[in-house]
Amino acid sequence: MKKAFVLALAVLVTSVVAASAQGSQTAAARSLAGFNCKKTITLPFVTPLTGGAGFLGAEQLSWAKYAVKTLAPGLGLKVKLVGGDTPSEQGPAPAQTLAQKYIGDPSVLAVLGPSTSGGVAASTKAYYAAKLAHISPSATRTSLTKSTGGTQYTGSPAFFRDVPGDYIQGPSDANFMVTNLHVKKVVVMDFQEPYSLGLASVVEATLKAKGVSTSHLSAPNTTTDYSAYVTKVPSDADIVFFPTQKPGDAQTFAQQLIEQGKKAKVFGGDGSDNAAQFKQSGSYVSNFAPDITGIPADAKLIAGWKKDNPGKAVGSFGPPSYGAAQIAMTAISRACKAGGGSTTRQAVFRTFKKVSIKNWILGGSFKWSTKSNDPLNAKFYIFQIQSNGSYKLVG
Amino acid sequence: MDQFIQLTVDGLTLGSVYALIALGYTLVYGVLKLLNFAHGDVFMVGTFAGFGVLQLLGGPASPDVPIWLVIILVTLSAMAVCAALGVVIERFAYRPLRDAPRIAPLISALGVSFFLANSMQLLFGAAPRNYDLFQYHSGTLYLRGLHIGGVTVPLLRIITIVAAFVLMVILWFLVNKTRTGKAMRATSFDREAAAMMGIDIDRVIVFTFVLGSALAGAAGVMFSLRVPTNVSIGFIAGLKGFIAAVIGGIGSIPGAMVGGLILGFLESYIQGYVHGAHIPDGTQWSDLYVFSVLIALMLFRHQGLFGRPDIRKV
Repeated sequence: MKKAFVLALAVLVTSVVAASAQGSQTAAARSLAGFNCKKTITLPFVTPLTGGAGFLGAEQLSWAKYAVKTLAPGLGLKVKLVGGDTPSEQGPAPAQTLAQKYIGDPSVLAVLGPSTSGGVAASTKAYYAAKLAHISPSATRTSLTKSTGGTQYTGSPAFFRDVPGDYIQGPSDANFMVTNLHVKKVVVMDFQEPYSLGLASVVEATLKAKGVSTSHLSAPNTTTDYSAYVTKVPSDADIVFFPTQKPGDAQTFAQQLIEQGKKAKVFGGDGSDNAAQFKQSGSYVSNFAPDITGIPADAKLIAGWKKDNPGKAVGSFGPPSYGAAQIAMTAISRACKAGGGSTTRQAVFRTFKKVSIKNWILGGSFKWSTKSNDPLNAKFYIFQIQSNGSYKLVG
Repeated sequence: MDQFIQLTVDGLTLGSVYALIALGYTLVYGVLKLLNFAHGDVFMVGTFAGFGVLQLLGGPASPDVPIWLVIILVTLSAMAVCAALGVVIERFAYRPLRDAPRIAPLISALGVSFFLANSMQLLFGAAPRNYDLFQYHSGTLYLRGLHIGGVTVPLLRIITIVAAFVLMVILWFLVNKTRTGKAMRATSFDREAAAMMGIDIDRVIVFTFVLGSALAGAAGVMFSLRVPTNVSIGFIAGLKGFIAAVIGGIGSIPGAMVGGLILGFLESYIQGYVHGAHIPDGTQWSDLYVFSVLIALMLFRHQGLFGRPDIRKV
């Protein structure tokens, strides 16, 4: 019986090793396989399309779709955009499954997303093994592109993002609180998922370094009623830093603070930037993108998108998705030209970093940083919510 | 003391909603011995139905009718929509499987749950819906209310708690003091014997679904008066309701009420009071504590607080 068990175990281990070796060979082979650029290219967008953050994914997908529709013909490409659903409630697992699916599809030369930092961390190694470049318009965790302050690098060279990371957002938010709001006591919250944990830790560390008294509250990602958490907010706290990905929750929290007579204001990160859902007067929001409706050069583009999406408002998650699709398609187009009408994933991957965009949707031009796969000179913008619910740029 | 009062009010509000959801589970289980896992999504449909009616009545900021009437109409509409939905679910997803092995309707219930969540997203999109009653008279419903110690119990919470208790009393009356209620109890006790006594079992079962689903609709509105809703809210709400029903003893109506309140209070007190340097914080690990207590409760009382032991004649 023992012998049979040992034999079975040996067979199992050998099979797994052989299969993984075969898998990495297949991935490597696919990265070098030629692709005829006249064929239709599949461009997947890995983002939450259902679940609590589904509305964000829908906004991102609509802008990427508009980019494909308006830019692909000019770049000489036939592109089919497909959505890959990663409901935030299911954690990073769907992003891993989708990565395997897209790696196995030879018509995929680049991938948009995953939208969330957790999804990127879970799948980027697989993309890199296949030399398949992927670009996220919203994954801001610092460690995805660099290792700073003792944090371990969790990304890969195949991962790019066209928005700045939390290494800019966290200190920007904390510095604004100290310099402009003169805070003495801040409550920092997290929601037990990678996005908020990363951002909360950077903000808390920066505040502490500047001598601000901080306390920490941690709520499960499934929390809907924050009353008990509000009870724990000290009555003399100035700010509750609330880096949620559900803007409606930031609104609930702000209202429950008022309900319980607390004077603290809510300060949300980029995940809570949504004027339709988070509109409690006096609260703050930071985001990686300005309000593009204020950029004259984008007027035509916005009008076109609105025509395709009647009744929808321009949010801040959509435009960087347009930009990500633009970068990916430009890289594919250039690699195709360099390859004389055919290309490989590896060639597209190498071309990614060479892409620069003159008229960038978020204003000015777009260039990559030479030190990491982050945008050069990117910054975060801080808004205060006005009594009519509008967002006013304050920092 | 103020913190205790605040947490008690929080627990009572949460628990009232859990109790209303739990009642739906327990009613259906009592009569059909079916765990209706679609119940959480019926609750979700109720939240959306209420939102739609609120918009039809002019929205929260300046409603066309007095606010008390808005809340009553929104609640009744959501109850009506959910009751109708309950009838449809029973007719098409459960009745054809009534004599099938017990696993079949269970799978069907899970299927209905996903069908409802996905259909709602297809029809209305994934964006959360917020009743946003804070907009009404600059937050009157949040800022005015009953003063206990240093705590103000806002009108909105009082409405939630009172409405939930009124509905529970009505349900108790229906089940215990009416002819239909007697038929429900008889069917729950022994379906075949009840049929032989001339009780129209189909009618009783449909009525049970109407009642349970209507309560889910009311719970949906009570929940959404204070918290935004979305198409995936049904899963967690349904899970909490189911757990509350099990704590109380599934099949027992008073059990579901008490179970809901226990769950609400446990969550609230643990989040508020459990903290210290050497123990996991209650806000962060409330589910760990709550479910540890519940496991312990189940170990000592398998049938729940008010459930009857499953004695079989051999």
